[in-house]
Amino acid sequence: MEETCSDRNTGPFRYPRHVTREDPLKWFSRAAGKLRTLWLAWTYPFASFGKGVWTHYSCHVARSAAPYISIGERVGLARDAQLDVCAAPGTNAPVLILENGSSVQRRGVISARNRIHVMPNVIFGPSVLVMDYGPDAEERADPSCGQQETRGGTIRIEEECWIGFGAVIVCERGELVIGKHSVVGANSVVTRSIPPYSVVAGDPARIVKQYDFSKGKWVLGCIRLAVGSERQDPAPRPTLLGAKP
Amino acid sequence: MRTTPRSIHQTSNGLEDHEGLFSRVLTKLNSLWVVATYPFASAGCNLSLHYASEISRSRATRIQLGNHVEIGKHTWLHLGMEGEHALKITIEDDCRIAARCTITAKNSIHLEREVVLAPDVLIMDHAHAYQDLSRPIKTQGSTAGGRILIREGCRIGHGAAILCDKGELILGRNCVVAPGTVVTRSFPPDSVLSGNPARAVQKLGMRHASAEQESLRRTEVELAKRGG
Repeated sequence: MEETCSDRNTGPFRYPRHVTREDPLKWFSRAAGKLRTLWLAWTYPFASFGKGVWTHYSCHVARSAAPYISIGERVGLARDAQLDVCAAPGTNAPVLILENGSSVQRRGVISARNRIHVMPNVIFGPSVLVMDYGPDAEERADPSCGQQETRGGTIRIEEECWIGFGAVIVCERGELVIGKHSVVGANSVVTRSIPPYSVVAGDPARIVKQYDFSKGKWVLGCIRLAVGSERQDPAPRPTLLGAKP
Repeated sequence: MRTTPRSIHQTSNGLEDHEGLFSRVLTKLNSLWVVATYPFASAGCNLSLHYASEISRSRATRIQLGNHVEIGKHTWLHLGMEGEHALKITIEDDCRIAARCTITAKNSIHLEREVVLAPDVLIMDHAHAYQDLSRPIKTQGSTAGGRILIREGCRIGHGAAILCDKGELILGRNCVVAPGTVVTRSFPPDSVLSGNPARAVQKLGMRHASAEQESLRRTEVELAKRGG
């Protein structure tokens, strides 16, 4: 996708330049993606739509959901990526915010009901699911519209995170924050907040690595801080929901 | 006039659905086009490359495909441009790669004969570097990575991820990887892998023996309790 003409083989036998260039059949899909991007930018009522956005022609965004979606600069929507706003909220504020440089990769689904905020330069792997509501038994029993709007939680994915392949981030209630520069491993299921500078993996996701500022390196396991100890953390640490005091 | 109900598997006697036929023709044409115009290191006969699969032509010199290889819809073979000009993805005879798989190679990914990948599988021999706090992970590039070798007859379940950050990852012959498993290290032949991270939960062909061992162990525990 990103190759240029300079990407030629450098082996003992050189193929002619026209052979190692991009397949001309791929131009159709690129052109379709370009048209889709222009169509989205011109005709969809997005809350905001940044410069340099690229989309694949097969990405799913509903026009009715567009007023609640804010897309920053250089954001990409890859093949079959889906931006979904489940229930139209009462306010006019966007509920699904993708900031600059945070692209949704193949088959990634972001489904917002209350608020999902993806901060700049987040890397999503393929097949990621981010959802700020969950299948709630009570809700299914009582599907009154007024109730539904208050259900679910909010999700904030902070700067520079890396969400691995197939990860599932679901917040059924409260606030879920994935701290700055954190890594979510492949096929993890995240249902609680993650502090900044940590690596989580597993189902349910647990912290497997964290950056220790006192030692100045990454250490295995979760760092347990003594109560009242000074943190040299440059970023304020979000509250750990569900953590034992 | 048909008198007996036919199952959907018995389509070889009748005509395919038109839509299915259309996509099969496109797939056939795409396979012919790709084999004819892409500079593969080597490509076998009777390939079936779905028309919506993604293989980069400029990087095809580092891909080797065996005979009867099947590659499904939206499957993506991705190669890094770094490093020496060498084989990076080798797929041997009779491998079947289903839809939506991602194979991302920086050093070497080798699938031996008759490996079957279910849909949505990820095989990646490197990872993003995240250790530097001063820069976003996005700009840190990838780690040095390792090499992945999947021996013949392995079956990889839906949504599994096979990741090798460093060193060598070898899945022995006839391993079965359960759906959604995250494999991060080597496993001996005939293992059944499951979990995140993967553990060998069973040995193929050893089921009876392991059940026997388990019952023996239980009896011992029981006896010890009684003795105590």
